[in-house]
Amino acid sequence: MSAHTHVDGQLPHEPEKATLEGRNKVLGFWLFLGGETVLFGTLFAAFLALRNQVGDGNPTSQELFDLGLVGLATFILLTSSLTSVFSIQAMHKNQVKPMLIWLAVTVLLGASFLGLEIYEFFHYVHMGHGYTTSAFSSSFYTLVGFHGAHVAFGVTWITILIFQVLKKGLNTVTAPKLYVAGMYWHFIDVVWVFIFTVVYLMGKVA
Amino acid sequence: MAGNHSTSEHQGGRHKVEGPQKHIIAYIFSLVLTLLAFTMVAAGEINTMFTYILLLVMAGIQVYIQMAFWMHMKDRGHMYATVGILTGVFVVFTMVVMAEYWVWW
Repeated sequence: MSAHTHVDGQLPHEPEKATLEGRNKVLGFWLFLGGETVLFGTLFAAFLALRNQVGDGNPTSQELFDLGLVGLATFILLTSSLTSVFSIQAMHKNQVKPMLIWLAVTVLLGASFLGLEIYEFFHYVHMGHGYTTSAFSSSFYTLVGFHGAHVAFGVTWITILIFQVLKKGLNTVTAPKLYVAGMYWHFIDVVWVFIFTVVYLMGKVA
Repeated sequence: MAGNHSTSEHQGGRHKVEGPQKHIIAYIFSLVLTLLAFTMVAAGEINTMFTYILLLVMAGIQVYIQMAFWMHMKDRGHMYATVGILTGVFVVFTMVVMAEYWVWW
């Protein structure tokens, strides 16, 4: 079907839902997120089952985790969720430049989160917490690393979208992509809320 | 097919453009919850079970904020989204209970 445009050439109020294709994209993405929930759920379940299986002399969660670093990462990711909301709000007002700036800020924050995580993993390996050290370490790296991989994908995706909008402009074809990428970014933060709660905070208490 | 526009376009022309205030409040609220969770664990005074429950409740509230306000789930037309996510959550819940109570039984 053809892209929908208003008579005056203006973008409709919610450009991501102005075409059937756009609406289907959003709906399909929700179903995808349902599947992602299951995916992360299995990793969480595996981690919960194995988190105390440390073995003799290997580092435990209490010895490893540094709440300051995790707190900073949480703050960065939460802020990036807000900047991503701002970009979608700018999109709804058809303000392309502020939208792109907020998207770029989101990408930068996501990249700094990744940087912190890489530093964190590097530090852990240095402390003798490798991928195959214990059942705890394997399930930890699989769960947290998978989330990190999602952040890396999101950073790449949003960066590509920024360039696409620069090239093709904001219209009823590009708007659903931006909206869906925003949903993905919030979902990453949702998963992180559970990671910092279940993995780090509960691991520190245990 | 082409006439299948979203309802929001036909609500009498004037659209309410929402400001950033609501989202900034949600952000600050999430920050406070995060800070509370971290301080509670850093202080480490309260008993473990109680801390766990409180942490999970605070995480639940944060996730609700993200999904309802920032992913627009509270808006109309998100029935399938809710069904999709809740189905996922149901499967996850089953698996987590299985892992926690069955594996080391």
